[in-house]
Amino acid sequence: MKNWIQVFSVIDLVSVGILLTAIAMNGMKRLESCVKAYAVNSWFLSALIAIVAFMIGEFHLYIASLVTFLSKGIVIPIFLRKVVREMKVTHEIEPYISNALSLTISGILVAIVYASLKEGIFVTGLSRNVLQISLAVILIGLFAMITRRKAITQVIGLLFMENGLFLAGFSLTYGMPMIIELGVLFDMLMGVIILGIFAVQIRRAFASSDLDKLTILKG
Amino acid sequence: MVSEIFLYTGIVFFFSASLLSLLKRLNPLVYILSLAGSLCLAIVALYLLFAGPQLADITLKLSSIFEFSFGGDALSGLFILIISILVFSVSIYSIGYTRGMEKKGLMGLLFNLFVLSMYGVVLSRNIITFLILWETMSIVSYFLVTFERDDKSAKAGLVYAVMTHIGTAFIIVLFLLLYSYSKSTDFSDMKAMASNIPQDVKNIVFIFSIIGFGTKAGIVPIHTWLPRAHPAAPSNISSLMSGVMIKTGIYGFLRVGMDILGNGPEWWGITILIIGAISSVLGVMYALMEHDMKRLLAYHSVENIGIILLGLGASLMFKSNGLYTLSAIALIAGLYHTMNHAVFKGLLFLGAGSVMHATHTKNMEDMGGLIKSMPYTGLFFLVGSVSICALPPFNGFVSEWLTYQSLLLGFKNPSIAAKIISPLGGAALALTGALAAACFVKAFGISFLGMPRSSHAQDAEEASPPMISGMAILGFLCLVLGIFPGTVSNIIAPVSFIITGSYGMPSYSGFIFVNENSAGLSPQFLLITMVIMAIAVLVFIYTVGGKRKITIADSWDCGIPSLTPRMQYSATAFTKPIRMIFKRIYLPRRDLSVSYIVKPFFVKSIRYSGEITPFFERYLYEPGVNLIHRIAVKVRLLQSGSLQLYLGYILITLILLLVFGS
Amino acid sequence: MEYLQFLIIIILSPLVNGIIKKLKANMQGRVGPGILQPYFDLTRLFKKDMVVSHVTSWVSRLTPYIVFSSTVAATMVVPVVSNNVAFSTMADLIAIVYILGLGRFFMALGGLDAGTAFGGEGSSREVTVAVLVEPMMMLALFTPAISAGSTNLLKVSGQEVALYTPSHLLAFSAFLVAIIAETGRIPVDNPDTHLELTMIHEGMLLEYSGRYLALMEWAHYIKQMLLFTLAVDIFFPAGITSSGDPLSIVISTGIYLLKVLFMAFLMATIESTRAKMRFFQLPSLLGGAFVLALLSLLSYVMMGR
Repeated sequence: MKNWIQVFSVIDLVSVGILLTAIAMNGMKRLESCVKAYAVNSWFLSALIAIVAFMIGEFHLYIASLVTFLSKGIVIPIFLRKVVREMKVTHEIEPYISNALSLTISGILVAIVYASLKEGIFVTGLSRNVLQISLAVILIGLFAMITRRKAITQVIGLLFMENGLFLAGFSLTYGMPMIIELGVLFDMLMGVIILGIFAVQIRRAFASSDLDKLTILKG
Repeated sequence: MVSEIFLYTGIVFFFSASLLSLLKRLNPLVYILSLAGSLCLAIVALYLLFAGPQLADITLKLSSIFEFSFGGDALSGLFILIISILVFSVSIYSIGYTRGMEKKGLMGLLFNLFVLSMYGVVLSRNIITFLILWETMSIVSYFLVTFERDDKSAKAGLVYAVMTHIGTAFIIVLFLLLYSYSKSTDFSDMKAMASNIPQDVKNIVFIFSIIGFGTKAGIVPIHTWLPRAHPAAPSNISSLMSGVMIKTGIYGFLRVGMDILGNGPEWWGITILIIGAISSVLGVMYALMEHDMKRLLAYHSVENIGIILLGLGASLMFKSNGLYTLSAIALIAGLYHTMNHAVFKGLLFLGAGSVMHATHTKNMEDMGGLIKSMPYTGLFFLVGSVSICALPPFNGFVSEWLTYQSLLLGFKNPSIAAKIISPLGGAALALTGALAAACFVKAFGISFLGMPRSSHAQDAEEASPPMISGMAILGFLCLVLGIFPGTVSNIIAPVSFIITGSYGMPSYSGFIFVNENSAGLSPQFLLITMVIMAIAVLVFIYTVGGKRKITIADSWDCGIPSLTPRMQYSATAFTKPIRMIFKRIYLPRRDLSVSYIVKPFFVKSIRYSGEITPFFERYLYEPGVNLIHRIAVKVRLLQSGSLQLYLGYILITLILLLVFGS
Repeated sequence: MEYLQFLIIIILSPLVNGIIKKLKANMQGRVGPGILQPYFDLTRLFKKDMVVSHVTSWVSRLTPYIVFSSTVAATMVVPVVSNNVAFSTMADLIAIVYILGLGRFFMALGGLDAGTAFGGEGSSREVTVAVLVEPMMMLALFTPAISAGSTNLLKVSGQEVALYTPSHLLAFSAFLVAIIAETGRIPVDNPDTHLELTMIHEGMLLEYSGRYLALMEWAHYIKQMLLFTLAVDIFFPAGITSSGDPLSIVISTGIYLLKVLFMAFLMATIESTRAKMRFFQLPSLLGGAFVLALLSLLSYVMMGR
């Protein structure tokens, strides 16, 4: 089995899946699709952790994988879908730039990351690509936050970034100690809940979920 | 050992006073405790001055860098003595002053913390301790400035906070520079390593110490916080701030610029001399135009700091030329004035506090005739005025006389620049003295003499006994420090010894004699002569003229009956000639609007308003603030409030880091 | 005997004022009062009853004594006819200026005490003139003090060097202006006027009568003679004896009186030939004198003489 994983470079494949879901999210208009992309992204992440756990035989990584799957893959997407439905906004109507352009720019970001990390930082010996991909996911998540207007897509962008960060940390250190992972996860959960409530509240207060409207709060 | 016991006891007294102050009932006890504390610290000060460094360093180590270290030498001792003198009398005064005050608990707490932090600053032995206590002092005094909680004191507090922190920034930088050469945060190590510092760095440190400590001391042009903040605080605090807090700036300058850095080039002294001359003349000039009693006194602090700096500048000049005895004399002059200023300015602020307490106004134009309703306050205010005008036989005279002597002795410096600049400093001092006399003729004459100009002044009542005793102690000290100049200079001599290596003058008690100049002064003699002469002339009068009748009548009114208070000379009118003569400095502006019944013969009313241009605020600070404001408006474009834009900045930063960082 | 030399100043000062008045009268073609008139005036005033305003406080009652005794104290350290001054180390040139300042301070307060406009006006102008005069006078005194290496009057008046150097002459002319301003003479103030609007010194004394007025006037005469004495001590010290035998003291007293008479003549001439200046023109006169004093200092520093 371990051999099989190495021969077919399963880790690389899975991580490319993470990258692709991130890029795909950038090209989607429907908010529910974005949430789905995030869910798939998280499944890939959890699978990657499980595979690595299998490869090196670390028990606590299994738990990390399971927790990731449950929270990021199931709870958060369901909660976000609920928020999206509650807001009655199904589409990102006027993004700052068109979907095609944002896909292109996502590609460019990936290229930049690969160009600047030519050597790769080969710490864990599992894959040469994981670090680059994680950085690319972070940048793409950030880029999504920049180009989208709706509060809910901001949240999704942030979640993608978090996944990227998780992956980066994982690729460099085989994952942080359990307690920290749990702490981060808990933070995330709370953050998402709060942001979700905020998104609803913003919509109520400004009759719009556009974050542009928030600029009137500036002194 | 004994000194340490007294130190600890004093600190315990202050701490217990600050805790007790939370119980409002025990208000007098709070100040009695701080009074006891100040006595203990005064004993410590005498030990430090006369028994050498008796106080072993007390160190409180938290980590390798964060180390609290206290200890003292003669220089600290002198400043502790000065603080103690003032705290002692202000504590007594506060017993009466805070009676009936609303937030007396807070006042007692802040008062004691303020005093403690000032003691701490002068007892600090390393950078960390010094900076932390320096900041504590600034912050506590900030709270005291904003104690009244009105708009004016809030603004004053803001200006004070900003300027004092700019000053602190310079102080931090200069200490870091010193640290980078000495590799030790301890002052004595720094002093030992000072010879390794290259001259350029020394120059920078010196200039930074002028700016950093000068902000606290209030030298022109970084004095602008002083006339705002001091009047805003309650009067007992103004007295402490003006009397001793600004002196910690002098202490810092002495510690860094003269003690740690050691000998410097001659231009250091010349710079200080010029700054001192400018501060003293401009300080008193602006004071003269002020009709708010406390602002007037605050501007006089600027003036007196200038006079102190004249002495210190002369001292630096002599020191750089190797004339150590002369340097010691000039230093004694400066330090003597430091002590004197604490005493008489403390007294004057307390007097102003009593006047405000009684009349509920700071404006002199509403006062008048107070000497009849407040005889003791009037007497002590007069003593303070005579002292600050440097008139014999009171204390201000002696220190100014010494300053004159050291400036005249500046002629012994080899360089032409020093030879010319030091007598000119003397001329500036003479101008300052004359202006100060004019100012206090106005301050005392308009507010205490003549007829009451308002109902407030009419109904004024004498201050309570504790307040009067607080003032009486300081007034008495004004005389004592004046007529025992030899004793005082002996107290200061150990300080001059550690800084210049010379004791300066031979020691007498009621007499000072400058050997290099063979000039002597004995205010005691002058006082005794004057008393004898006054008695002699009384006897003479009664032998020539016999006993004569004294008729009490109205003042001369040109035959037109009933002179009203409105016909008296006002403070504005009193200073008008000076305003006109120095109009290049004051840039006065006036508005005169006349309404007529029949033009141009029958005038119905005349409204006059005039003001002087606050030169530094208008031409130095306002453009500076405006510039920053304009830049801020430009910078604000970056801060659009759009979340996406901010995230964009992050993205760009990340990408740039990725591209250029790898 | 020589320890009482200051009594010469105190006793003869009204006479000097009488002489100046007589000289002025003669120059202006009048007969004028006798030279002893000031003595008669003082005696008359001492014997008069006093009128005191009910507005005044103890400050104005104390003022005449302070003014008088401080002025007298200043005379005690000045060598008049002999170098044997008992108290010469008790005060110096600078101290004398400040002792006179004490008198002026209280005089100005006394002007404000009665609450009249004239008193306020007088003291306002007095302090303004003092502001202009004091730096100039100090600077004028600095040059001789520096050249003597001391501010001690004995040292200054005992200088061996030739005194008629450019720096000393410049300092003397500045000091002369200072004397004119300090003694309230034309062109700064008019000592003979009693018109309220133009007076400076008289304005402050307006509320004083009887013995208070006599003390103030006498102190004013003493101050005038003290300043003359200072001028001749500093700038023409020749003739001051240092021996104690009566003959040399008599000779030096004669020389001293001649010198003071010369000063009196100088004052009378200036007063008779000048017109009083407007108050706000004073800065140009006194500022000019300041420049003279400055030049004197510079020439001493630069040329050494």
